[in-house]
Amino acid sequence: MNHAIAVAGALIGAGFALGGGAIGAAIGDGLAGNATISGVARQPEAQGRLQTIMFLIIGLVEAMYFINLALGFYFITSVANGVK
Amino acid sequence: MTVLLDETPGTHPTINLCSGSSFCMLNRDTLLSSAIAMLITLVIGLAVAYRLRTGPPGKLQMVFELLLSYVRNMVRDTVAEDAAFIVPIAATIGFFILVANWIDFFPLQQPVEPANADLNLTAAMALVVILVVQWYSVHVLGWRGYLHRFTKPFEMNLFVRTVFVPLNVIEELVKPVTLSLRLFGNIFAGVVMVFLLGQLFATGSALLSHAAFGTFGLILLVVWKAFDVFFVGSIQAFIFMLLTIIYFGMAREGLEEEGHGKAAVAHAEA
Repeated sequence: MNHAIAVAGALIGAGFALGGGAIGAAIGDGLAGNATISGVARQPEAQGRLQTIMFLIIGLVEAMYFINLALGFYFITSVANGVK
Repeated sequence: MTVLLDETPGTHPTINLCSGSSFCMLNRDTLLSSAIAMLITLVIGLAVAYRLRTGPPGKLQMVFELLLSYVRNMVRDTVAEDAAFIVPIAATIGFFILVANWIDFFPLQQPVEPANADLNLTAAMALVVILVVQWYSVHVLGWRGYLHRFTKPFEMNLFVRTVFVPLNVIEELVKPVTLSLRLFGNIFAGVVMVFLLGQLFATGSALLSHAAFGTFGLILLVVWKAFDVFFVGSIQAFIFMLLTIIYFGMAREGLEEEGHGKAAVAHAEA
């Protein structure tokens, strides 16, 4: 019984963490894209350089989400295996 | 379907050197796959080095020259003119991570897992980078300047700066943690996604007993794998390299300000 409750709690927690992380990553990606678009609109010749920086920022932003995903999976498996 | 991993990701087969303590356990899969990545990195690097020409360069040499000159310019811009020793460190780490991420594209089964999906490897690399950064900071600033760097907003008064000391210590301690967790999280999440996709479509095709599910899953897996390896893997290798260089640049903080201050004073006196 305890095990079932613990696993359910872990799954719900991981769901919340993933949802919140996805919101954050989406906002961050949107901000980066927004800034890139306004930069390109202002200076079309800078598109190549801006795109490199944009992908870099997107990589940094999405890293947080992927860390969430990986650690969430770790915690779920450790809870499912550990709590008896 | 063979794409299904037989073990949950995150569990590693281990070699135990001395019984008991978990400090002398070696992860067999990480050792193997990082050895393969090292071998490929060495072979490509030596192949380029032995066939160096001053005339028209070969294709591989041209790519390497382009990348190395990019790294060199970045080091020159963010760190200093005389910090050329950072170029081999950063370029080697970046290239090794790139190779280690790209060999992940081949469907690796359990004895050979993607090397960076193990926190031990990424933490080791981050630790080495941060230790060299600390050494460089002491070397450039001296012990006084190194300790002075922890009172960071230099333009504030003494009280505010003492308040900021714990924050700066935490920032310094968190650097290797985030550096290693970023790479590990990305690559490990890729492995987790492959595992979950494989499981989803295996159960889906078993429940509905329709072969189309398996094919669809395979296509989806290949698409995800290509995105994960060639987009995420390349970007993460580049980010690791870039952050290494940026941390070296941050290790000189305080030097520029002092130099500027002195120069400004000299300018005002003249």
